Amino acid sequence: MDKILVVDKVTKEYPGRVAVSNISFQVNKGSIHGFLGPNGAGKSTTMKMIAGLLPSSMGEIFLFDQKVSSQNVDIKNQLGLLPENAPLYVDMKVENYLQFVAKLHKVKNVNDQVNKVMEDLHLTEVRNRLIGNLSKGYRQRVGLAQAIVYDAPFLILDEPTNGLDPQTVVELRDFIKKLSSTKTILFSSHVLSEVEQLCDQITIIHKGKIRASGDLKEIHRKFRQGISIKLGIGCGEVLPDLSNFGKYEIHHHSTLPLEEQYQLTFEAEKDIRSDLGKFILDRGLKLMTLTVESPELEDIFLHMTETKK
Amino acid sequence: MIWTLWKKEMESYFSTPLAYVLIGLFSLISGIIFFNLLVSYTDGIQSMPPNMAEQISFVEEVVLKFFANVNFLFLIFIPLITMKLFSEEKRLETIDLFWLSPIKEWQVVLAKGLSALGLVLAMLFITGVFPLVIWGVGVRDFSLLGTSYLAVSLNACAYIALGLFCSSISGNQIIAALLSVLGIMFLWMITWGGHLNSNYLVAEIFTYIGITSHFERVLRGILGTQDIIYFASFIFIFSFLAVKSLGRRNW
Repeated sequence: MDKILVVDKVTKEYPGRVAVSNISFQVNKGSIHGFLGPNGAGKSTTMKMIAGLLPSSMGEIFLFDQKVSSQNVDIKNQLGLLPENAPLYVDMKVENYLQFVAKLHKVKNVNDQVNKVMEDLHLTEVRNRLIGNLSKGYRQRVGLAQAIVYDAPFLILDEPTNGLDPQTVVELRDFIKKLSSTKTILFSSHVLSEVEQLCDQITIIHKGKIRASGDLKEIHRKFRQGISIKLGIGCGEVLPDLSNFGKYEIHHHSTLPLEEQYQLTFEAEKDIRSDLGKFILDRGLKLMTLTVESPELEDIFLHMTETKK
Repeated sequence: MIWTLWKKEMESYFSTPLAYVLIGLFSLISGIIFFNLLVSYTDGIQSMPPNMAEQISFVEEVVLKFFANVNFLFLIFIPLITMKLFSEEKRLETIDLFWLSPIKEWQVVLAKGLSALGLVLAMLFITGVFPLVIWGVGVRDFSLLGTSYLAVSLNACAYIALGLFCSSISGNQIIAALLSVLGIMFLWMITWGGHLNSNYLVAEIFTYIGITSHFERVLRGILGTQDIIYFASFIFIFSFLAVKSLGRRNW
């Protein structure tokens, strides 16, 4: 698969502290790549380095096979950035601001492009309003509009839905999903469910170091280490010994109105549901629930950012 | 792109009260100065015998003194204009819009400098009313008016270049403005230092480095090569320093 972005052993040092240390990851063409990490993990620093706004202390970043540097003009029209604080002129009208950004990037049909972007982001009704008078949701839309108005094929979106009302969040998520059909997106967020919905690849960064990076399903699989099964038997029935299926642990037991439910982890990697179901039924027990549980992204995130301190 | 940024900056000045307040204040203060100079001149003439009164020059007493005062007003007004040019952009991180686009540092500095000059020229344009008023009451001696406008315009360009540099090195508007004011005062004081120094060579060097002697020469219509070189090199050096200051982020 084509690599749009390659971050290779990059370190960023400030006097007295290291913001990111020897990080490496890649972003595939056409993907939405989630960039996860708690506050202060180094996400924004990394994104600014990728955008050519900050130099790295060590290592190299390649975008579209070209080395990123502040002087590399060729990649400037190929990258759109929505930073955490959108760069907005509060004394400008929405339309004028977008026209200004488009002209800075030498867009040919400025008016057509600006109209299209305003329509896509539902900004047409506020086109003649001062940005300073807009709500936070609209400002964020204008911030996103400036990142896409020159039709860059690679977008960096730093927490684009942070602090917005639920309706705007859903609209922006849908729009970002739509954008991914033509663009590659590096997307940071604190909302893990959002990352799960939108992203097919993720990178988890913590304290300036990469904890995991790659395909979301692959990371799920690696994290799983065995198989986690939710098993429900009849109310009042006792769970038999299951050591025939290898070493196992009971994580949780709860008595529900109609069943005794157990959360089990087996060391075996293979799916044992069919054999396990037969085993339970052969012992005259009722089989109420039998499902394989996937760990939530939140579990992975917490595991990566807590246990590896 | 220079035109795009210049236009945006000019619209930014005139879409907020800043430009109107500055132009209004400048017009008011310069109007008061002009009126006082005119009253002093007419009072002076009336209190003298007719043969002596003819020796008092209107140009000397009103026109040149007025533009010397305009130069003094620039000490406050130009730093107020230039202080936000880069400091504000850095604070709001809107400066990243430039660095994400193909525009170069020198183009940004040039566009911002020209926009500040546009506002200063708009302020000076208002003062054009004063000669018209005098012309209307019969005074026709405006021999040094053109060079006077040239002198204050050249000084304005120099102060703007200095202000741009100060704004480029600070993320705080107040500090940028203070640095500009101190810088302009320093330029004046160098000339005074030259006048006070007994060593001929040192005095000459000080006088050349200071802006006042060049300003006065142009004001009086003596625009020499040395003055052209001085203003051109002054504007170039501080614009260059502003470009270099913005380019510190480059690698």
